[in-house]
Amino acid sequence: MSDKGLLTGEHFLLGDYAAAEGAILVGCRFFAGYPITPATEIAERMSTRLPQVDGIYIQMEDELASMNAILGASWAGAKSMTATSGPGFSLMMENLGLGIMLETPCVLVDVQRGGPSTGLPTLVGQQDMMQARWGSHGDYEIIALCPSSPQELFDLTIRAFNLAEKFRTPVLVMTDAEIGHMTERVVIPQPEEIEIINRPQVRKGDVEPDHFRIYRDTDTDGVEGTVSPMAIAGEGYRFHVTGLIHDELGYPAMNAESSEWNIKRLVNKIRAHRDEIIQLEEQNLDDAEIIVVSYGISARTSQWPIEQARKEGIRVGYLRLITIWPFPEKRIIELAKRIRAFVVPEINMGQICLEVERCAAGQAQVLGVNRLGGDILEPQQVLSAIRKAAGRSDQPQTDLQNRQTER
Amino acid sequence: MAESDMRLEHSGHEPDSQSDWVTGLHPMDVLLRGERLPHIWCQGCGLGTALTTFIGALQWLEKNQNWDLDKVSVVSGIGCTGRIAGYIRLDSFHTTHGRAIPFATGLKLVNSELKVVVISGDGDIAGIGGNHFIHAARRNLDITVICVNNFNYGMTGGQSGPTTPHGARTVTAQYGNFEHPFNLPYLAAAGGASFVARWTVLHARRLEWTLREAMMHSGFSFVEIIAPCSTSYARWNLEGRGLDPQKLGRRGLEVMKHYQQVGKIGHDTHPKDAAIKVNEKGEINAIVEGVFLNEPKPEFRAAIKHKTQIAKERWSAAKKVLDARLKLPGRNDVVERTEVQLGGFGGQGIMSAGRIIGQAATLYDKIEACFTQSYGPEARGGAAGSQVVVAGEPIHHPHLIAPTSAIIMSQEAYVKYVPNLTSNGTLLIDDGLVTLPEDHRQDLKTYGIPATQIAEELGNARAANSAMLGFWAAIVGAVSQAAMRQSLADSVPPKTLEVNLKAFDVGFDKGVEVLK
Repeated sequence: MSDKGLLTGEHFLLGDYAAAEGAILVGCRFFAGYPITPATEIAERMSTRLPQVDGIYIQMEDELASMNAILGASWAGAKSMTATSGPGFSLMMENLGLGIMLETPCVLVDVQRGGPSTGLPTLVGQQDMMQARWGSHGDYEIIALCPSSPQELFDLTIRAFNLAEKFRTPVLVMTDAEIGHMTERVVIPQPEEIEIINRPQVRKGDVEPDHFRIYRDTDTDGVEGTVSPMAIAGEGYRFHVTGLIHDELGYPAMNAESSEWNIKRLVNKIRAHRDEIIQLEEQNLDDAEIIVVSYGISARTSQWPIEQARKEGIRVGYLRLITIWPFPEKRIIELAKRIRAFVVPEINMGQICLEVERCAAGQAQVLGVNRLGGDILEPQQVLSAIRKAAGRSDQPQTDLQNRQTER
Repeated sequence: MAESDMRLEHSGHEPDSQSDWVTGLHPMDVLLRGERLPHIWCQGCGLGTALTTFIGALQWLEKNQNWDLDKVSVVSGIGCTGRIAGYIRLDSFHTTHGRAIPFATGLKLVNSELKVVVISGDGDIAGIGGNHFIHAARRNLDITVICVNNFNYGMTGGQSGPTTPHGARTVTAQYGNFEHPFNLPYLAAAGGASFVARWTVLHARRLEWTLREAMMHSGFSFVEIIAPCSTSYARWNLEGRGLDPQKLGRRGLEVMKHYQQVGKIGHDTHPKDAAIKVNEKGEINAIVEGVFLNEPKPEFRAAIKHKTQIAKERWSAAKKVLDARLKLPGRNDVVERTEVQLGGFGGQGIMSAGRIIGQAATLYDKIEACFTQSYGPEARGGAAGSQVVVAGEPIHHPHLIAPTSAIIMSQEAYVKYVPNLTSNGTLLIDDGLVTLPEDHRQDLKTYGIPATQIAEELGNARAANSAMLGFWAAIVGAVSQAAMRQSLADSVPPKTLEVNLKAFDVGFDKGVEVLK
């Protein structure tokens, strides 16, 4: 058995703990964080577990520091992570931008609670979805994943690290209080059973330091979306990196031309790999006239209303966004051409709904199903919306309540 | 070489060759990014001297202490001083405003071989980054923080900052600064720094010596460098002879002269007494310089390492317990969605009881379970509730829709949860703690045992939840007895294992009895 401090096998595990174990299994050895409900358990687990695998856990003075510390750790060669919720997520935006600009692999888990401001500390929300996309200033692309169970929170934390390393960029795991605080079966594979991707990296002596370019993108003859090898501190490259617009050498280059080069580089390395990054779960889309598009806990709770609607003869399909950013535009555009309506359940005023609307571009109707934090969506709400989208009356009340009392 | 030359041609964002700029004539050239010169600093600025002394100190360490400069990382924030990172030919990180210290913290903690130096300005270190500064000092993290203090925000045009002397003028303090400045050495020392010093750029030689010492120091070392801001701060204050057109080009030098007049070397001065003094016009009239504090103190990274052994022992023990878990075959019969509400007060183990059911179902009966808890303020003795859904199929909706059974261990929980139970549901109460009211729901199957009393008689009142779990397992039957016992064994402290299992068995037997 592997006893390098790695937990394997079947466990009845809290979602937050599952995120921590996924990180450890994929090789995360540095965690910096700040206590905040409902993400605290990730930090707690890491504080106990990391020293057992020769990793470092540190509680920083705030979330600004936490985010920055994981960037520093990554430049020293570690796979690093932080975890937070709404208010802390806001504070991390500043240095999430730095991470993107410096092209730093790292993972940020946002266990969403109701907002804005201090909002609902202990209760669920999905209100940071647009902040995940646009929260730091300037133009960039981001990768964000959205799990629907503790098992998937485990799996996607691993995937987040792999994507972060591969594309040299911070990756967000956008979970929520419900998943984070839920305990379910989590199956942890043996370390050799999981795919582990490590960053493209130059080691001491690989390249003549004088000719090393930390952001060179000419190796592939102008093919867009290259990820250039990274050097880490202490290997003799004596490189420079900056949050300013920079050139291949990492030197400040403040002019329009460099800005164009720099930002397109950040954007294209993700856009060019969209098909690889985007993961969707699809059910019954072939004959669907209505498609429920959802993610995270809301996708999960939409399953029963969908089954129910199909029993009622409504041809409804299910599209779960496992990757939320980059947004699966191509798929939605394609589906919009041949269906009647999208139904988008989410615990906010309608954020991802806007994206679906943008892609549907008037070709299909888009109906949001919303609840403003504090609790998960009632199955009945989603069922009503599906019926409405299908042009049915909302009368046949064979809802969950009735199912229970029928027994 | 040919291949490398080709690479240079491909890049359109820099001078033809780095070597065009580096003359190699000056001994410090090797540590400068010559291709980035000339620098952006103003004439008469103190930053050139600060950089030169820093390089001098590094070269001395390389020569005399065998330092491998490949292992030195320089981190800076934003501002004029922040640009030093971009001119020095070492691994260098130009981060966000104020955040150089946490970035450095990550670097140093991951690779303790690195020598990490933060160089930034007073606005960066003491203003926007002030919190990081005091906390790094508190941890006594083994990094060196060099703060070049020019009493204002230079890069943005000379606004007041956290070190602007009281009464001094800046573009945002045209009537004299009404705030009081930080005494940075005192702040660092109070935070917990183990090496604290100050020099002005006039003391180039002494400053270099101190920088060597600071970088060799194990623990958090802080060096404040007082430097003239010839363009901004000197423009408004008399040290630079203000707006006197005759002196405009010499402001930096005028300020240095002034520092020479008001400065006084005072090694070992108590940092409290190291405040920079001003007259009623805000003109600096006393600066104490020297090494104020240099004390050995346990360094942070070592303190972390120290705990690793304990952590590993803890892991081995936990692993042993995990490996010893029973392998049960699981159940094959159909299990319908069973929703269990647990309620009581804090300290009764309402949370663990719910978790034990879920764990028994998933790990040992191999069916599905989803456990959630109602979070309240972290207070013991308050109301506590937890919920478990057990089912043979995947659980889409994690919450209770209509609870089919409930374990209730307080009157408050009775009032709160019993109305939600589905008709014909099963209510289990600790009848020593819960009294059924006259209008108790007749559509429920209600059973009670004096669980707390049973547990007390067995010698530990806290095993009451185990008695309730046994009772529940026997009556509801959604999870097998063997699975429940094993899950219970996994979950309670070894010392209380026996009493908990006994309580469980008593509860179970009572349940079987009641069903007869």
